[in-house]
Formats: sequence, structure tokens, C-alpha cells
Amino acid sequence: MTEKTTVLKLAQVTKKFRRFAAVSKVSFAVEQGEVVGFVGENGAGKTTTINMLLGFTSPTIGEVEVFGQHISPATAHVSHRRIGYAAGDMELPKHMTGAQYIHFVMAQSGGKKHAKRYGELVKAYRPQLEKRIGTLSRGNKQKIALVAAFVTEPELVVLDEPTSGLDPVMQSVFLATVREEAARGTTIFMSSHYLQEVAEVCTRVILMKDGGVVEDLSAEELAERGGKVVTLKSYKEIKPPEHARWPSSHVESDVHVLAFGYVREITPLLKWLASQEDVIDLDISEHTLEEEFKHIYSGQDDKGSGDE
Amino acid sequence: MNSVLLKTLYDRRWFMLGWTLGFVGFAALMVSFYPAMHQEGALDALVENMPKAFEGLVGNLASLKSFDTYLASQLFDIRLPLVAGIMAIILAQGLSTHEEERGELRTILALPISRTKLLFEKWLALVIITGVTVIGLGVGIYITAPVTTGAELEFLTFIKLALMTWLLMIAYGTIAFAVGMISGSKGLATLVSIFVIIGSFILSTFAPAVDWLGHYEKLSLIYYFPAVDIVEYGIAKTNVAVLSGVTLVALLVAIVVFRRRDVR
Repeated sequence: MTEKTTVLKLAQVTKKFRRFAAVSKVSFAVEQGEVVGFVGENGAGKTTTINMLLGFTSPTIGEVEVFGQHISPATAHVSHRRIGYAAGDMELPKHMTGAQYIHFVMAQSGGKKHAKRYGELVKAYRPQLEKRIGTLSRGNKQKIALVAAFVTEPELVVLDEPTSGLDPVMQSVFLATVREEAARGTTIFMSSHYLQEVAEVCTRVILMKDGGVVEDLSAEELAERGGKVVTLKSYKEIKPPEHARWPSSHVESDVHVLAFGYVREITPLLKWLASQEDVIDLDISEHTLEEEFKHIYSGQDDKGSGDE
Repeated sequence: MNSVLLKTLYDRRWFMLGWTLGFVGFAALMVSFYPAMHQEGALDALVENMPKAFEGLVGNLASLKSFDTYLASQLFDIRLPLVAGIMAIILAQGLSTHEEERGELRTILALPISRTKLLFEKWLALVIITGVTVIGLGVGIYITAPVTTGAELEFLTFIKLALMTWLLMIAYGTIAFAVGMISGSKGLATLVSIFVIIGSFILSTFAPAVDWLGHYEKLSLIYYFPAVDIVEYGIAKTNVAVLSGVTLVALLVAIVVFRRRDVR
């Protein structure tokens, strides 16, 4: 078995803006070849963390390392030779054309040796290369930012909300690029609001809330968090079954509504359903990553379910 | 356009062209005024009776008798330090804060470009653009002089005046540039720069008339650009040293702070 290299590492990182801690005691490491989804609500601390990874800002406390190198604003450029970066709200030089900007990016990392990759990406994303960036729509600017992030064939790609502004066709092109890069062994660290795309391509998800890491899940653990969502309506009050996750109940026009998540084997659930009386409606649907995170954000977890 | 320097020059090409043409016109206008100002004997009585303190505002009228000292006193000594200084400050402020305010600075800093290199190449753009505008002055003077009676200026004299103008612009520009790079704030860069240039102008203009201001005259950067003296006696090394020193210190402080600070 080959030992994987740690590509980036944060150790007890805190970033304060005056008294407000945007990021608090965050620690995690990302290994080579991982595709990590960095997920959280607005203000959870995702962009602040990415800013420290790229040396735009320095941590108030703690240590950031990328490719084994300590990152500070003064030294970050050394690691940038191996990093591609794109953000949804990225401002590109508006006086330049798309082609001028991408060639400017390529020139900083070896220029013509990336010509083949440039051709592939231009074919996939079809960006408007000859127009000045300042005249382009947000989606078209985003295509240029993504081509620039991948064109230098970096070992690590850091993406902050990369698909905001992209149409569904381009979103799928982007996901295909991520899969392709992952297959080559590129490490991807990607923040996103679109949980579906995170679920589709990421091998690991780190969830941020209020400036801290609340969940760090592998793809397998994510799959385990899937399962079903059961919604039951009855004239009688119903108690949730054993192993129900985040159960909730309320009354709607004299009808008791019980909802819960379920990840175990389906047979005990069917037996439990069969034993219920006065059931007037039943709905069983797939539990999405989005729903899982909603529960985490609302502070509801497995409390009261008897789950382990 | 593969370096920050070339990108910056490209971004500022219209600014550079506009100000250069402005300087060409400004210099041409001042040269073409010479015959009207220079009338043998007409100003002698005025020169004799003019209070010494008045010189700060209108220049030494005795210098109007020859073209080189006329140009030195009326263009390089009074008007140009203010206009060129303001131009350098506007340019420096833009170079140091516009990209950060628009969010473009992060895009550039995400590339393998060190902060020192980025800062230095932007400053180099400041030096080049101010240099081009100073060349514009020369163009304005030398295209108008042949068709203006009595307007003859030795090229070496022009070079001396142009070099010191350039150095003064770089000094003003570097102060504004340094404040912008240190703070990332256009407002602060404007405030400090306006204070420096208006302060310099007030000190240099009114120091001959107001005794107590005279003690502070050396705080004005314009003090180190005595244009008429340059024409008559050449460039004083002390003046070059002071303007270069101010520039160097401002640049070094900017590098040290910008390398460490957070960018927006």
C-alpha cells in the first residue's frame, strides 16, 4: 500500500476580525487525491478558511500548511505554483479578454507546456475568449475562471462556490472535469452550496457551522447517512420506531403527522408499519444529503431516537 | 502581457495617453505665452517694486527675461509640481487600491506571484507612466519652441528639469502608493496624499511671506525642486538624495507591511 501525502493541513486555526471569530479552532487534513466537499451555510467560515489556505489572510491563532509548507501572506505564492483556484464571486481583470487572462495565468506556471490542457478545457467549457471580461455575464466569467483554475494542471484545486452562476449544462461539464481530475490524482477542495454536486463527486465532506467543523464524513459514512425519510399520518398519536433518526411530530387538523429518518434494514421498518393502526397516509422517500445537513443545521440529530 | 508590469501598463494605457497629451498641451501653452510675458523693460518697474513675499505666488518675475528661467519659474517651479504631483497621486492611488477594492487583487495573488514582486512591478509601472508624461512635457516644449520668438532651451537644461520633475512625481506617487498598499484604503491614501501635496504647496508658496512658516519650508517636497536654481547652478545632490530617500523609505515600508497584511 502506498502512503498518501498530506496536501493541506489546518491545526487549531482561529481567525478573528476584532472580537468576532469567523473561524474557531478548525483542524483537519486533506490527503493527496481526495475530493473534499467543504459545506456550510453563509457565514459558517468556509471562505475565511479558504482565504487562509491561499494566504490572502493569516490566522489569528493556529497553523496552516499546504504541501508541507507553512502558509503566510508573504510565502503563500510558493505553494501557488501547485494550486489552481476559482471562486464564484471571483473578480477577473476586466480590462483583459478571456484569452489574455488565461494566458496570463499560464505564463505564471510554465506557459506553453499547458497548451494541450488549454485546448481540452476550451473545448469543454466554450468560454468567450475574445471579449473583454468586463463585458461578460457572470456565467461566462465563471467559465473563464474555471478554465484558468484547471489549465495549469495543478496538484491541488481550491474551489469556492465554483458553480454559482453556471447553467445546468456547464455544471455537469464542471462535475465531469472534477471527476477527470480526481482520476488523475488531483486533490480537490471545494466549497459549495449545492449539496447534490458535493454528493455526486466528493469522497469526503467537511461540514462547517458557526466557524467550526461539525462533521467530517467519508463517502461511506455519507452513504450510511442516506436511507429513507418516512412520513406517517394517523388519527392517533404514533411513537417512532426504534432506530428512528431525528423524529418530529405535529398535529394538522386533528391528524397526527410523524416524520423520521431510517437507515437500517428495511424489514423491521415494514413490520413496525404493519403494526400501526388508523394510518391514513404514508410516504417513504430517499433521504438526501441536503436533508441530512438541514437536520444538522437545525440542531436536530438523533436525539430521542435511541439510535447509537 | 505576461507580467504584472505589462498588465498594469496595459490597464493604465488610456490614463497614460490622456495625461501625456495633457502635459504636451500644457507645456506648449506655457511656451507660447513666453513672447507675451517677455517684453524687454516692461516688467522692470514691477520687478523692482514687487514685495519679496509675492514671489511665492507668481515666481521670480526677473527670471522672465530669458526663456530657460521663464520656463523654470513659471512652469516647473509653480504650476508643474502641483499638477504633476496630483497626477502622480491619482495614478498611485489607482495602482495601489483599485484592484483590491474590486476584488481583483485576490485573483492575482492566487497565482504564483509574490507580494513583493506584485508591489514592485506596480511601482515600476508608476515610474514608467510618470516618465512618459515627463517626456510629453519635452515634446510640448520642443514642438512649440521653434515657432516661438526667443524660445530657446538647451537640451541638457531640459533634461535636468525633467529628471527632477520625474523624481518629484515619483516621490509624491510613492507616498500615495505606499499608503494604499499598506492600508488597502483609497480614502486613506487620498487623505494622506492630499495632505502631503497641499501641505507642500502651502509651505512653498507662503513660506517666503510668513515668517513662522519659513521654519517648516524644508518639510515641503517642492522645496527640493528649485527649478530656477537648477537652470542656473545645476542639480543639487542633496535635493536628489532627499527625494530619493523619501521614495525609498516609503517603498520599503510598503513592502514590509504589504507582505504581511490581510487582503480583502
